Amino acid sequence: METAALIVVLVIVLALFFDFTNGFHDTANAMATPIATGALKPKAAVLLAAVLNLVGAFLSTEVAKTISGGIIHEDEISATIFPSIIFAGLIGAITWNMLTWLLGLPSSSSHALFGGLIGATLVGASAAAIDMGVVMSKVVLPALIAPLTAGIIAFTVTKIAYAMTRRYDNKPDGRDGFRWGQIFTSSLVALAHGTNDAQKTMGVITLALITVGWQTSSQPQTWVIFACAVTIALGTYMGGWRIIRTLGKGLTDVKPAQGFSAEASTASTILASSALGFALSTTQVASGSVIGSGLGRRGSTVRWRTVGRIMVGWLLTLPASGLVGALAALVVVWLGQVVGVLVCAVAAVAIILAIFLRSRRNAVTSANAMSGVADSGHAVKVKRNPPPTRRQRQLAREQARAAEKAEKDAAVRVRADEGGNGK
Amino acid sequence: MTVTIDWLAFLQVFVVAMAGAVVVVTFYAVGLRMLVRSGHAPVVSPAEFTDAITVITEKQAKRSAKAAAKAAKRNPLTQTQKRIALVAAYAAFAVCALAVLGGLLLIVFNH
Repeated sequence: METAALIVVLVIVLALFFDFTNGFHDTANAMATPIATGALKPKAAVLLAAVLNLVGAFLSTEVAKTISGGIIHEDEISATIFPSIIFAGLIGAITWNMLTWLLGLPSSSSHALFGGLIGATLVGASAAAIDMGVVMSKVVLPALIAPLTAGIIAFTVTKIAYAMTRRYDNKPDGRDGFRWGQIFTSSLVALAHGTNDAQKTMGVITLALITVGWQTSSQPQTWVIFACAVTIALGTYMGGWRIIRTLGKGLTDVKPAQGFSAEASTASTILASSALGFALSTTQVASGSVIGSGLGRRGSTVRWRTVGRIMVGWLLTLPASGLVGALAALVVVWLGQVVGVLVCAVAAVAIILAIFLRSRRNAVTSANAMSGVADSGHAVKVKRNPPPTRRQRQLAREQARAAEKAEKDAAVRVRADEGGNGK
Repeated sequence: MTVTIDWLAFLQVFVVAMAGAVVVVTFYAVGLRMLVRSGHAPVVSPAEFTDAITVITEKQAKRSAKAAAKAAKRNPLTQTQKRIALVAAYAAFAVCALAVLGGLLLIVFNH
């Protein structure tokens, strides 16, 4: 029992560290577009994101229940080995998260977590211990459908935002006002991030507590909610300095109306999904929205190569973190629980330290920024002078016709004058 | 092993998210349109003039403020029409805020 307790404590520490890296990794999800358009000062944006992540974590626990009571069948795994498997899964998630952060690859913290847990369970227990139905319906399918959903919604609302504010007389269109709106919509995204991402860690800690019999229901305890909320908020705030230095330089071409629409789409998709317990990736949803809203602007085209690169990064996350989780579980199975967990913990600390020290050698540029969202802004190319709308074309035709008529009238008048003078 | 997938839940998410985003964006855009109509075209300078590619320069911000003031002066509407447009703008922003608040309350009370 003492060994189990020790491992559970290690799981909680590691889970909270994962929560911290999650916040660190995802600050840009909410704040990429308002910083890019100048709607918020970078420092204020990061602080706002941190506070709202904290608040959001308290709003709902549906996603936490999905993780603690759905993905893994607790009854199929012995209570003595289960905490070690969760530990191995977390090692897979954190290692993959840190590695992609160092390499500047687009990746999802949520999928790293699911991949790590699934990989570790497959090796440490058996395939029967994983509820494939829940994995498919609440993790894999939302991962494929959510970015598409967010993209379609963002495309539609961007078209609406531009159509509603378009002027044909070259007078001010008021689109500057979307910059105010962006403060609210980006706040909503940060809140939504808290409702979805902080809960994933709550779910993992709750799962560990259930396995050792310290808890029976899948509802996270208050101290777990509080600890996860504070950690993700801290991670979000600490991650901000990198965003300030990179997004301040402007990684992506986002106009206020477009940014407002993208954030409205991201927030509504995440909040609706959180309410139904879908554990989706906020990075993927935000990226889908940025691409969708880019396409909603006139004269935009997709850079399929960039889209492909981003999607490969997404697809790679689940199996890659699963592989690391499986390797860690293999070490635990081979060396025995205590020694195995200690070896894994030492290896994880060494890897994290090495990655952190290596990252300090690199200057922060758009290439190694942690913003998958800003990266997806490059997936859409928007022409500087977009083609005219149907009504603009019609107005131009009318103006041309009027000019032609005026010219003809002037010519007739000149001829008439000349005729009069001749007489 | 049978895998049952609740496709209706995905449809629900899509419909709810689409409806929420459409209501928020449409009413906010209507609000801005009405503000412009009332002669209060919003001129919002960036919080910080960074060198980001989409952040306008101070010169551009001043120019758009001047254009907005000029357009407000030449507004052909009567005072009553302007006042109605301003009330409509605030009403649209209120609907927008209520939609967001309603969505959040639904989540809080649903769990």
